[in-house]
Amino acid sequence: MLSVSSLECRYGKVAAVRGLSLEVNKGELVSLIGANGAGKTTTLKAISGVLPPAGGRVIFEGEDITHASARRILQLGIAHCPEGRRVFPYMTVRENLEMGCFLRHDKPGIAADLKRLFERFPILDERRHQAAGTLSGGEQQMLAISRALMSRPKLVLFDEPSLGLAPNIVEKTFDIIKQIRSEGVTVVMVEQNALAALELSDRAYVMEQGSVTLSGSGRQLLDDPQVQKVYLGG
Amino acid sequence: MDQFLQHLLNALMLGGTYALLGIGLTLIFGIMRVVNFTHGELYAFGAYMMYALVMRTGVNFFVALVLAIALGALLGAALEFVLLRRLRGADIDTTMLVMIGAWIALQNTEQLVWTGVAKSIDNPFPAAPLVIGAVSVGWNRVFVFVVALLLIGITYFLIQKTKLGKAMRATFQDRDTAALMGVQIGSIHTATFALGSALAAAAGALLGPVFVAYPSMGDMAAAKAFAIVILGGLGSIPGATLGGFILALAEELGAGYISSGYRDAMSFLLIIAILVFKPTGLFAQKERIG
Ligand SMILES: Nc1ncnc2c1ncn2[C@@H]1O[C@H](COP(=O)(O)OP(=O)(O)O)[C@@H](O)[C@H]1O
Ligand SMILES: [Mg+2]
Repeated sequence: MLSVSSLECRYGKVAAVRGLSLEVNKGELVSLIGANGAGKTTTLKAISGVLPPAGGRVIFEGEDITHASARRILQLGIAHCPEGRRVFPYMTVRENLEMGCFLRHDKPGIAADLKRLFERFPILDERRHQAAGTLSGGEQQMLAISRALMSRPKLVLFDEPSLGLAPNIVEKTFDIIKQIRSEGVTVVMVEQNALAALELSDRAYVMEQGSVTLSGSGRQLLDDPQVQKVYLGG
Repeated sequence: MDQFLQHLLNALMLGGTYALLGIGLTLIFGIMRVVNFTHGELYAFGAYMMYALVMRTGVNFFVALVLAIALGALLGAALEFVLLRRLRGADIDTTMLVMIGAWIALQNTEQLVWTGVAKSIDNPFPAAPLVIGAVSVGWNRVFVFVVALLLIGITYFLIQKTKLGKAMRATFQDRDTAALMGVQIGSIHTATFALGSALAAAAGALLGPVFVAYPSMGDMAAAKAFAIVILGGLGSIPGATLGGFILALAEELGAGYISSGYRDAMSFLLIIAILVFKPTGLFAQKERIG
């Protein structure tokens, strides 16, 4: 479904991603793990079109999206739930969700999706007229996830969904992601919390200094001595 | 007391147009981070379009007003498209220099086309003023006030309720994330500059017939717009609205009780006072844009 080959990304002269390749099949939940600064966020930005790659190719459902605009990529069905949640702080919960379906025009469909999300996250319903910046971290994460879903994506990119959240909320967040996948949406997830990510994932890639050093099923990587030593603290 | 009420009424009538000027400038700064030195020229453009349409072409006054505002939006969009679009990502100094160049070029074009002689513009309102008890106000000024309020209302509605307005606010709050939602940042910038310019042109088209049109009229208008924006807090629409009325009141009181020469000094005095006592402006950060 998504195929990234020899991806190169630079910030000015600094290379952040060097020759990264990965594959994601329809319906999979694939994780990208690695230390801080490994280039995980940069990779997601290149896929969603916010940061045009310096080299390599990104193919989504047969279409070359390497140099497509963020808008075009979203239209094709890739939503990106960015690192740090990035809700629009001075817009209401409802307006944030409306921004999530900015490119959609099917009013009845949008209304139905809103209704479903509000049923799923009653706290967002309660706070629908409140500025998003006033929500707690966990609530903002629910909102950021919901906002990404409002575009009815085929593939969602989650960047560090558990970052900075209380342990019980972390668990809830992973449950939601699992649920999204079970509804037929393909998921690519970047996580610092390697244990949780590997347990959840069908497959995973380990990134170091801008490229993939290891890949395999979640189970394989959990059992890998190198991964255990470096990422699982054992 | 009657004199004070009269000043208050005059300030109210003038404040609406000042608010338009301020809202236009603050929108452009808030969303695009551009210090728009051409704002005053768009004001002058609005006034000259009224002159051209009403006095030279014989277009109906009210139709001319609508046209002048629309032409202001068009000129703004063109400026954004030709100059600012190329400067996206350039540092603020470069952008400022280009905008100062555009300001000088626009003003000299006005002088070239319309000469330096001030132009007066006829209005269709009765000459006898509206008298309310001890105070009175010209019908032309009542009209200016009502239209300014209407335009302020339309602008609020546009920013708060429409899809374009929401995209503008999202862009202001988090440009990258807005792009992730599918917002085309370039189009938002064009729309913002066109809207801000239309508001400046509207202010000029409204006040041109009250006073006169002359080539350097934009300079004072720009100074006032900057005072209003600094007063209200950069990027704050409610701040600019309130700021417009406060400046108008300060001018009226300064001219009425100190000396008429103080009218135009009031904007600078206000800027100094705000920078000394509350540099962030009257409205806090969280209330910016919307
Ligand atoms: N906006 C930026 N400008 C310059 N360098 C950046 C920027 N963002 C990230 N980098 C650099 O790129 C590398 C990869 O960063 P990132 O993709 O954020 O890593 P990760 O998400 O894995 O922590 C790091 O060395 C980081 O310092
Ligand atoms: Mg990251």
